[in-house]
Amino acid sequence: MTQFTRSAPPPPPLHPNGVGLCLAMDASKPSLYRSRPWPGLPVSSESLGSLNSVNCMEQLLVQCANAIESNDATLAQQILWVLNNIAPPDGDSNQRLTSAFLRALIARASKTGSCKMLTAVAARADADLALHVHRFSVIDLASFIDLTPWHRFGYTAANAAIAEAVEGVPAIHIVDLTTTHCMQMPTLIDLLANRPEGPPLIRLTVPSLTTTAPPPPMLDMSYDELGSRLVNFARSRNVAMEFMVIPSDPSDAFDSLIEQLRVQRLVSEDEVVIVNCQMLLHYIPEETVGAIATTMSVNSPTLSLRKMFLEALRGLEPTLVTVVDEDADFTESDLVGRLRSAFNYLWIPYDTVDTFLPRGSERRRWYEAGVRWKIENVIAQEGLQRVERVEPKGRWAQRMRAAGFRSAGFTEEAAAEVKSMLDEHAAGWGLKKEEEELVLTWKGHNVVFAAAWVPC
Amino acid sequence: MKREHQDAVDGGGSWHPEAAAMEDEKGKGTMGAEEDGGDDELLAALGYKVRSSEMADVAQKLEQLEKAMGSSTAANDDALVSHLASDTVHYNPSDIATWVDNILWELNASPTPLAPPAPRRLADNYDPKPLPAPHAAAGRIVYGSDAQSVVAPSPRDRKRMKVCSSPPSSSSTTDAAKSDKALPVVVVDTQEAGIRLVHALMACAEAVQQESLKAADALVKQITVLNTSQGGAMRKVAGYFAEALTRRIYRPQPHRGVGCSSRDSAALDNILHQHFYESSPYLKFAHFTANQAILEAFAGCRRVHVVDFGMRQGLQWPALLQALALRPGGPPAFRLTGIGPPQPDHSGALQEVGWKLAQLAGTIRIDFRYRGLVAASLADLEPHMLLDPNTGDCSDGGEDEEPEAVAVNSVFELHGLLARPGALEKVLGTVRAVQPRIVTVVEQEANHNGGTFVERFTEALHYYSTMFDSLEGGALAADAACGGGRRDQALSEVYLGRQICNVVSCEGVERTERHEALAQWRARMGRAGFDPVAIGSNAFKQASMLLALFAGGDGYRVEEKEGCLTLGWHTRPLIATSAWRVAASAGGDPIAAAAAAAL
Repeated sequence: MTQFTRSAPPPPPLHPNGVGLCLAMDASKPSLYRSRPWPGLPVSSESLGSLNSVNCMEQLLVQCANAIESNDATLAQQILWVLNNIAPPDGDSNQRLTSAFLRALIARASKTGSCKMLTAVAARADADLALHVHRFSVIDLASFIDLTPWHRFGYTAANAAIAEAVEGVPAIHIVDLTTTHCMQMPTLIDLLANRPEGPPLIRLTVPSLTTTAPPPPMLDMSYDELGSRLVNFARSRNVAMEFMVIPSDPSDAFDSLIEQLRVQRLVSEDEVVIVNCQMLLHYIPEETVGAIATTMSVNSPTLSLRKMFLEALRGLEPTLVTVVDEDADFTESDLVGRLRSAFNYLWIPYDTVDTFLPRGSERRRWYEAGVRWKIENVIAQEGLQRVERVEPKGRWAQRMRAAGFRSAGFTEEAAAEVKSMLDEHAAGWGLKKEEEELVLTWKGHNVVFAAAWVPC
Repeated sequence: MKREHQDAVDGGGSWHPEAAAMEDEKGKGTMGAEEDGGDDELLAALGYKVRSSEMADVAQKLEQLEKAMGSSTAANDDALVSHLASDTVHYNPSDIATWVDNILWELNASPTPLAPPAPRRLADNYDPKPLPAPHAAAGRIVYGSDAQSVVAPSPRDRKRMKVCSSPPSSSSTTDAAKSDKALPVVVVDTQEAGIRLVHALMACAEAVQQESLKAADALVKQITVLNTSQGGAMRKVAGYFAEALTRRIYRPQPHRGVGCSSRDSAALDNILHQHFYESSPYLKFAHFTANQAILEAFAGCRRVHVVDFGMRQGLQWPALLQALALRPGGPPAFRLTGIGPPQPDHSGALQEVGWKLAQLAGTIRIDFRYRGLVAASLADLEPHMLLDPNTGDCSDGGEDEEPEAVAVNSVFELHGLLARPGALEKVLGTVRAVQPRIVTVVEQEANHNGGTFVERFTEALHYYSTMFDSLEGGALAADAACGGGRRDQALSEVYLGRQICNVVSCEGVERTERHEALAQWRARMGRAGFDPVAIGSNAFKQASMLLALFAGGDGYRVEEKEGCLTLGWHTRPLIATSAWRVAASAGGDPIAAAAAAAL
């Protein structure tokens, strides 16, 4: 209900015909009103007075998230209406970004049940999303990944570090923890096949995710089939390779994989173990996953699956652990904080896409669907369903040190490799070295980091 | 008033003197207070909250009442019924507790049964008609044969209802068994009682139409009794209709509306309006769909002007301002003309709303100008008041500024003009004269302005039953979500109750709730020189999505109907948004157009 705090101005003069011209005013006049005047958009210069439309969109998204969280249906509806009109899903990169967050908020509103919702709408949204999650063939996926340095950066940096670490080693066991279905392995096999001392024996172990909704991209073939293709490829390069798939999942810190690796370690002690982590570790639940944290906290209040996993990894005495991941923080428990953080990171894939995929192309649709999947997961999901738990590189470094690793750093050659790879891509991409880590940047903003760790 | 009332009672002839006297006393008490009260009564209605804590009390008292009623002999049942009825000439669903209290007190005070009066017989004449089989699906009552109009009783309905007008031996309930003496009560199907209630309401309307006030009086009393058997939306809506009928029957002066929607309660009206806005999706739907049409019509325009025929608190505009502020290509210069009725307290609310909108516009960097226009009637507007003072004479100014694009917006404002002949035509002429790019019209999708009184009454009964039903669903959801939905719902019901009152009890210029359906508006707008503009599928999708997310309950339906959008409850559309532009043939010189309209 509107409350007027100021005494009313004098009555408007009534024109003889019953119409009075009351006042004309312009926006520059100061006003005494501070209270929320409508059950509508909040008026606060600090929240909306910012300069550009991107900030405004972020503010609107934040207000919408707040409205949804506080069950303010009227405000949420108003902002959703506005956002719907200013952020078409086929607009410019900022509009598409905003649209993706908007859809995620709608999905959240429909899932949390904080607002009454037709389940049909949610189901339709899910179906939409599922429709867009494309299943790639191996060839398609390889060329898709080559479009942008997003993954190539990590591949290149890790390959260089691995090649250096296994110099002269005759038998290596590579554990490939990746969302991109071993697309890095052909490049690594190639590299090792051509080394002066001759190719090593390679054992490749990969987890096949058991979750029902794995993060994109999706592959149109089984890992057994993928494995036989990789083995064939290695053979074509005169590399002897064994391939092993362990059904395992980040939600239990790759329990069965770790088990298998421990056994393997006992069987073949002379093997050098290399663990290559490409953007998969952040799917392991960390401390903020409520249920896990509390059940585990009986012994140690800071114990988490993520911590456990790294300690288990350390127990395998690996020769090298490469950690490549997105340099952002999606772990805040507070929705608004997470929204801000994700909004201020995930603009990058939208901003870059114009440089390598034409509008309206099919591959662009697949690409943006992948980004939307992330946004939806960060915003609309909670608990164990919220799997996109990216952490900034500094926190990963802390974790690695706490688990008993030290940074190995990258050689100048490794950096040079990465640089020459970046030359194949758009001008906005850059490389910088922070502490001992390599960081991929877009227009100066951190995108992906690569770190190499060895046991202390 | 007293005299008329007396006439109505005396005319019956067969009233027991005692009953008549009591009736008179009571009439003085309730009716008098109500009319003298004016605003007080309405404010009391505002404070109306049936708190859940009170509900238990009410339920208990109802139970006591049932027992007390049951304890009287069968022979006296009729007397008792009429006694109860005579006590409750004015039945307001909000003070059921007091009402029950009164009855209990009187039953205790005067155990002597009253003599059987005539009105019961009138009702009997009606009752024996075969009731239509309740072809009602679970929990729904279907009136007559019109399968579209449905009233869903709340879950409470099914609990129980006992009435006393039956032989004591027929049955008893566990409740009765609990008391010392097994009290004879009969469990009656609520659905049947609901149908009886509707029939009684219809019969009463019939009697009103035939000006047989005696019968109407008797029936309205019976309605009150029957209504106690109902719960939820049905009870409330029947209460409002009974009240409206009562007002009509006992109309103190034939042409004075009884405060239902009179201008002097504009402030209260605004408060109720705001609660209606918050608690149900209707006004939000109206705003979203109209804004969508306006936003699309303004695409690419650098200077825009919205004329709002019903400014109120300006609830519609923050969202549009925000959307314009962030539209591709930058915001336009925005001018808003807000029209509102004179405020009795001269509060200047119209300006205050303007100030706040200006503040919002400032923070989102929109060049904003506002003008509040006080007009007792929209028909008092003239085109020159709406035209841009800067460019009104641009023909000789030679400014190269782009002429402003005008949108005229009317949410529930046009139907009131139908009370005065020529008023709507005058207003539409003014609208055409300002050459709007778009005219957005939201109106109730009902015909409460044609045919006989009974037809109007029937249509309104169906319409508001559905409306109340939808509020019930929404409040349940709101309660589940965050609580507080009940108060909003109660105030929304008062808001709608005032409309019911106007539709049923007012006539002539006082009857301003002259809702007409889309087809009628289409004809009127066409005659006035407007072509329909189809409201895009974008608006449809958005409205559906917003409703699906927050409307509470899945009963709401957005439908597209010949380029218009309707929002309804289940199968019944309840409000409609349409958009219009000046017909190509009627374009040209605004002055000539205005002259043409005047002819």
